Amino acid sequence: MINNKNGFLQISFPWLFAIIVGIFILFLAIYGVTKLIQTEETIQGAKTSKEIGVLLNPLETGFEEAKASSITFPVETRVYNICNDFGEFGNQVITVSQMSFNKWTKTDIDVNFPNKYIFSTDFVEGKKMYVFSKPFDFPFKVTDLIYMTSTSDSYCFIDAPEEIQDEIGNLNQENLLFENCTEKSIAVCFSDRNDCDMVVNYNKGSVERPSGNVYFEGDALMYAAIFSSEDNYECQLKRLMKKISSLAQLYKEKSAFVALSGCNSNLDSDLQMLITSAEGLENSANLYSLSAIVSDIERKNQENSQCKLW
Amino acid sequence: MQTMVNKRHLTVSFMKLPLKECSWLIKTKMRKTIRAQMKIQQMSFMLMAVTLFFILVGLFALVFGLSGVKQSALALEEKNVLLLVTKLANSPEFSCGNSFGSNKMNCIDADKVMVLKDSIDKYTGFWGSGIQNIMIRTMPIAETKLCTKSSYDGCNTIDVFSKGSTGFPIENFVSLCRKQAGQNGVYDKCEVAKLIIYYNEKQ
Repeated sequence: MINNKNGFLQISFPWLFAIIVGIFILFLAIYGVTKLIQTEETIQGAKTSKEIGVLLNPLETGFEEAKASSITFPVETRVYNICNDFGEFGNQVITVSQMSFNKWTKTDIDVNFPNKYIFSTDFVEGKKMYVFSKPFDFPFKVTDLIYMTSTSDSYCFIDAPEEIQDEIGNLNQENLLFENCTEKSIAVCFSDRNDCDMVVNYNKGSVERPSGNVYFEGDALMYAAIFSSEDNYECQLKRLMKKISSLAQLYKEKSAFVALSGCNSNLDSDLQMLITSAEGLENSANLYSLSAIVSDIERKNQENSQCKLW
Repeated sequence: MQTMVNKRHLTVSFMKLPLKECSWLIKTKMRKTIRAQMKIQQMSFMLMAVTLFFILVGLFALVFGLSGVKQSALALEEKNVLLLVTKLANSPEFSCGNSFGSNKMNCIDADKVMVLKDSIDKYTGFWGSGIQNIMIRTMPIAETKLCTKSSYDGCNTIDVFSKGSTGFPIENFVSLCRKQAGQNGVYDKCEVAKLIIYYNEKQ
């Protein structure tokens, strides 16, 4: 660069060329690094989603009792719980978004698990998450339901029956309380009170919220109704019905197969009724229509001591 | 002689120069132009080299990063299959439940599995996409006699699910129980068996 006599700044062509190309290279480098960070965040999110799925596997081998575990993340994390009820068994989708540079990363990669049923709010946020599972029998074991909550969300169970208190107490989950509840706690009442976020009506088999009611049969579905959003619950219930229908079909065929060995279960027509009802269930409000069939099948299977189907 | 020579821009009042000096000035100007062009070329080559260097470094980092992703994805899938082999034996589609007395861990209902074989297409991808085969073999492992509904007695291998190609096997010991017709009616027949999952890493 040379100043001429008039003090006018003159930039020679090679300098101008170098500056323009330099800016271009710098811009390219910054763009590349930004893209790389975004890709890395997406990969990390997808990896975490898959890891959550893998970590949940040991929870799915329960018989009667509930099992608990926790997942700790290195950074503040949001686990999005998406349920798809299309296809043979539907899909459980987990997407993870993590806090990076004070912003939530966006992840487009969904990790699918057709054999998992996770009940939670639309997303669970925190550094530590509690998960517990409980087998769902209807009337045979269908699957293990998984309930996911964040340490930052506490649930206060008011006037809960003794067996519920025992079961939840045995989980040792710090966010499930019976006393010393804080104002921020979500109040789950088992009796009519005014200060409740939701009321569990054990006799009606319903969980009543200001936004609407959902219906359940058995404790496993009751927990599901408490810990999940309405949409998530209804969708997962449809998936469960698909699984029930498929298993009932399997037991029906098994019934015919073991009959060849002289083992008669006489449950064919009942199982066919269960298949039809489960396939036709539109929402949890109609769940009561299945309960009579389920009780009947359960009783008949128990009575047949020599040739139980399950 | 009035010459106004600028270091960069050569300005000469040619009219007042003798012919000899004029040609000298033209040659100098040409030499400087050539030198400037050379500098531009050098600069261009240098910048191109720098750009190429950054691109190559970027590509290398990308390939290195992606290979790490592939490895961790495979590691996760393998971990999943290792846990799955235990989970599968206790899943509703395989487990004995209370059919053979009380609820048992790692007990497979052979009658149920034989029926499941017929509708296994429904379960494609249900337990994991990398799984190629699911097989149950009674112990001790002898010559393979595949179980079908017509050759159920005396068989030793139930090929539950097979994609044709195999992978590396992951095994777990289980009890394989079934209802058997005997002289005094139906009885429960339980054998020690191996649940084998063949897993093939996706390319």
